[in-house]
Amino acid sequence: MSEAVLSVRNLRTYFMYKDAEVHAVDGVDLDVRAGEIVCLVGESGCGKSMTSLSIMRLVPQPAGRIVSGKILLDGVDLLRLSEDEMTDVRGNQISMIFQEPMTALNPVLTVGDQITEVLLRHRRMRKREAWQRAVEMLEFVGVARAAQIVHEYPHQLSGGMRQRVMIAMAMVCEPKLLIADEPTTALDVTIQAQVLDLMRKMRDDFGTALILITHDLGVVAEMADRVVVMYAGQVVESTDADTLFEEPSHPYTRGLLRSIPSLSDDTETLYSIPGTVPDAAAFPEGCRFADRCPLAQPECLATAPVLREVRPGHWVRCHFADKGSVSV
Amino acid sequence: MAGYVVRRLFGMIPMLFAITVFVFFMMHMAPGNAIEAMINPRIKDIAALKHQLEVQNGLNLPLPVQYWRWLVNVLHGNFGWSFGQHEPVIELLGPAMYNTLILAVLAEAFILLLGIPIGIWQARRPYSKLDYTVSTVSFVLFSVPFFVFAVFLIYFFAIRWPVFPAQNATGTGPLAGTLLDHVWHALLPAISIALTAHTVYSRYTRGAMLDVARQDYVRTARAKGIREPVIYRKHVFRNARIPLVTQLGFDLGGLLGGAVITEGLFSYQGMGYVTITAVSQRDYPVIMATTLIFAVCVLLGNLVADILNAVVDPRIRYQ
Ligand SMILES: Nc1ncnc2c1ncn2[C@@H]1O[C@H](COP(=O)(O)OP(=O)(O)OP(=O)(O)O)[C@@H](O)[C@H]1O
Ligand SMILES: [Mg+2]
Repeated sequence: MSEAVLSVRNLRTYFMYKDAEVHAVDGVDLDVRAGEIVCLVGESGCGKSMTSLSIMRLVPQPAGRIVSGKILLDGVDLLRLSEDEMTDVRGNQISMIFQEPMTALNPVLTVGDQITEVLLRHRRMRKREAWQRAVEMLEFVGVARAAQIVHEYPHQLSGGMRQRVMIAMAMVCEPKLLIADEPTTALDVTIQAQVLDLMRKMRDDFGTALILITHDLGVVAEMADRVVVMYAGQVVESTDADTLFEEPSHPYTRGLLRSIPSLSDDTETLYSIPGTVPDAAAFPEGCRFADRCPLAQPECLATAPVLREVRPGHWVRCHFADKGSVSV
Repeated sequence: MAGYVVRRLFGMIPMLFAITVFVFFMMHMAPGNAIEAMINPRIKDIAALKHQLEVQNGLNLPLPVQYWRWLVNVLHGNFGWSFGQHEPVIELLGPAMYNTLILAVLAEAFILLLGIPIGIWQARRPYSKLDYTVSTVSFVLFSVPFFVFAVFLIYFFAIRWPVFPAQNATGTGPLAGTLLDHVWHALLPAISIALTAHTVYSRYTRGAMLDVARQDYVRTARAKGIREPVIYRKHVFRNARIPLVTQLGFDLGGLLGGAVITEGLFSYQGMGYVTITAVSQRDYPVIMATTLIFAVCVLLGNLVADILNAVVDPRIRYQ
C-alpha cells in the first residue's frame, strides 16, 4: 500500500465554555492513503464534522479549539502552519464540500466568480484563462450548458447542480484530499447516485483521496475502500470495507449494521441501538459505549479500551475484540 | 424593470391624492388662517378687509371646492402664490429644493462614509473591548439630541474659529451661487446631521455583517483558502449591503423632504426651513406644495430602495 497522504494522530478538538468543556473530538487517529476513499460513519454528534473541520482548521470560533494532536499532510503538520500558510493549503491541497448545497454557495456571486476565485487565489493564472478552466471543470462534472451556467447565480440552479458546482469548485485545483461532509444527504435518491459516481470519477481521474462522511451504510458499501467508525469523539473501529461488513468487531459497529433496513427482512420495526450517546461535556471513565453495550463487563466500566490492531489493518477499540467469537 | 418602474410610478398617484386631501383638510381645520396672519391687527375695519382678502383668495369657498381648484392648478403646473412671501410658490421652492438636495446628498455621503466603515471594522472584531467601546460611543452620539451638535459646531467652527459660514445656503463674493459655494454652506449642517445619523448605519452594518459572517457560504469561502480581508470585502459585505441599500433609499426620501430643525438652526434656506416658515404663517399654497414634494420624495425613496435592492441582489428581479 502507498504512503498515507493524511495522518491524523491523537486529535482533540474541544469547545471551551465558561461552564463546560465539550470534547467534540477526543483522540482521533485516522490515515488516508493517496487515491483512497475512506468513509467516516457514526451516529449524529459523534464528532465526524468536527474531525473534518479540524483537518481544515476551520473549527467554529471562538469557542472551538484544537487542543492537541498532529495533522500530517504529506508529512507536514498542518497544526504548525501559520494561519496565512494554512490558507494556501485550503482549496488547493485539501478541499471540502458540505451537506447543504442550498446555502453553501454565495447567493450574490456568479458560479463562475466562485470557481475562478479559487484558481486566481492558488494558481498564477489570468482571468480569461481561469474562466475557461471553470467552464471546462463544469463540463467535467457534468453540468450542461456550462458556458452559460458560469454566468448564472446559485438560485438559478437545482440542488444537484449546485452540488456539482461545489465539487467543481473543490476539485479545480486538483487537491490531494477532498473531504465531503454528507454531500448527498440533502439530495433526492437519483441525484445522490449521480453525485456519488461523480466523486468516484474524481478519485479515478485526479487520484484525489476522499474522506466521505455519511450516515448511510448503503453509501459506505458502494463507495468505501476503508471505513472508520466513530463513537463519542473517538474512532472505535477502522478497517477495509469488506471486513467491516463481513466481520465487524466492535459491538457498536455490529449495532450499526443491524440497524440497516433490509429488503428481505420481514420485521416491521427497525433495530436501533438502545440508549443514547453520552454527553460530550462529561464522558464516562471507562468505555464510552459500555452503558449501551450488550457485552459490557465490569472491566469495561472501569478502564477505557485503547484502539488496538487486532488483525493487520483492522483496528478496534474494545477489550474483547479478539477474545473469541462474541456475538450480539 | 422599466415596466415595473412605470407601474410603481402610477401606483403613487392614489397615495399622493390621499396624502394631499388629508393635509389640506387638516390644515384648514387648525385655528386661525393665512389672512389673520397677514394683516396688521391695528387696521381699523379688520372684518371687512379680512372678508375682502378671503374672497380674493378663494378662501370663502367650501373646502372641497378649494381643494379641487388647488388640484386642477397643480395639474397645470401652477402651485399658486405664496401668501407670506408674495411670490409664486415655484420660485420660492425651486432654490429651497436645490439647497436641500445639496444638504441631503452631502449628509447622506457623510453618514455612509462614517457609518459603514465603522460597522465593518466592528464586525471584524465582534464582542471585543474595542467593539464595545465603539458601540457605547455610538449609542451616546445617537442619544444626544442632534441640535446639540449643530449648536456645538456653530460655536466652534463658525464663531470661535470662523472657518465655515454659520448661516444661509449661499454666500457673497465671486463664488456666490456656484456649486462649491453651496457645498461650503452645507458642510456644517451636513456634518451635524451625520454625527448622529451615522450611528444608525454603523449599528446596522455591524449587525448585517455578523449575520452574514455566520452563513455557510462564508465557511465555503474559507474552505477555498480565500484570505480574511477578501472574505469580508467580497463574500460578507456584498450580502450585508443588501439591507443597507434598502435603508438608504428610505433615508434619502426623508432627507430630501428637508431637515427641519437643522435647517432652522443654520438658517439654511432649504425645504425644512421654508416649510416651518409657511406653517407659522398659515401659508396654505406653500404648505400644500411642500407636502406634495415631501410625499413624492418619500415614495420615490421607497422606489429607489426597491431598485437598489434588485441591483445588489441577483435573486430579486422585477418584471
Ligand atoms: N459550536 C459548538 N459548540 C459546542 N459543541 C458543539 C459545537 N458544534 C458541535 N458541537 C458538539 O460536538 C460534538 C460533535 O459534533 P459534530 O458536528 O462533529 O457531530 P457529527 O458526527 O458531525 O454529527 P452529525 O451526524 O449530526 O452531523 C457534538 O456533541 C456536538 O454537540
Ligand atoms: Mg456533521
